[in-house]
Amino acid sequence: MVTASCLCGDIRIEISAPLGAVTACHCTQCRKITGHHSAAVPVAWQALTVTGDITWFESSEAARRGFCGRCGSYLIWEEYDGLAYLSAGAIDGDTGMRMDGHIFYADKGDYYHVGEMLPCFAAGRSGPEVAP
Amino acid sequence: MNAGGGCLCGAIAYRVTGPLRPVVACHCTQCRKTSGHHVAATSAPRDTVEIAGAVTWYRSSDSARRGFCGICGSNLFWDGPGTHLSIFAGTLDGDPGVRLAGHIFCADKGAYYEIEGDLPKAPGNDAVLTTQVME
Repeated sequence: MVTASCLCGDIRIEISAPLGAVTACHCTQCRKITGHHSAAVPVAWQALTVTGDITWFESSEAARRGFCGRCGSYLIWEEYDGLAYLSAGAIDGDTGMRMDGHIFYADKGDYYHVGEMLPCFAAGRSGPEVAP
Repeated sequence: MNAGGGCLCGAIAYRVTGPLRPVVACHCTQCRKTSGHHVAATSAPRDTVEIAGAVTWYRSSDSARRGFCGICGSNLFWDGPGTHLSIFAGTLDGDPGVRLAGHIFCADKGAYYEIEGDLPKAPGNDAVLTTQVME
């Protein structure tokens, strides 16, 4: 069973579906929440069993972000479409999932570049790519 | 230096009047868990950082604690040994001029990503990276 967990262990998530690719998001919200940029993998809520209380923040009219209120670990972004975007760093061990792209790269911080191995999209994946 | 930043919801804001250290990415297990990926932090002398709002602190080890916003969950600070307070670079407003200088605890990184680029990559801590001061 693949699991995810916060740093203090108050929240544990069992994942019963295979994990797809990880997307890094460099939007301003993700940068503020994570302190750098996010990296997340979508999983259907029905494949998740959550133990512990997630603290939710309504980050926009269409989405919310979940974290551990005790240790601050950032765990989930969701937009109420049945999917939970799980933070890749919360997932325990090597599940075989790999990162395959960067989105909202036009909003990234000035202090870093990610390199040239993966495609970087200015906003969403359906839009234009930009130089890394 | 006159830099500032804060959390996503605006409940916490900070000003920094002291020199900011170049940014260091940390890939240790703790930083991966709390950030959801890995962190990138600058730092400044503690007495030059003024914080407004209520930071929630979590004691993550015997020698350090992590500060976040209890409302929106933004990861803001790592407060460990030494004279400096680490500030997660994604929470900075605008561009105060600091740049990523290297990576630490690369041996603990997640399997799902590569650390790209030519910057120094230390398997564990690197005191040159973490204590350097930008002139």
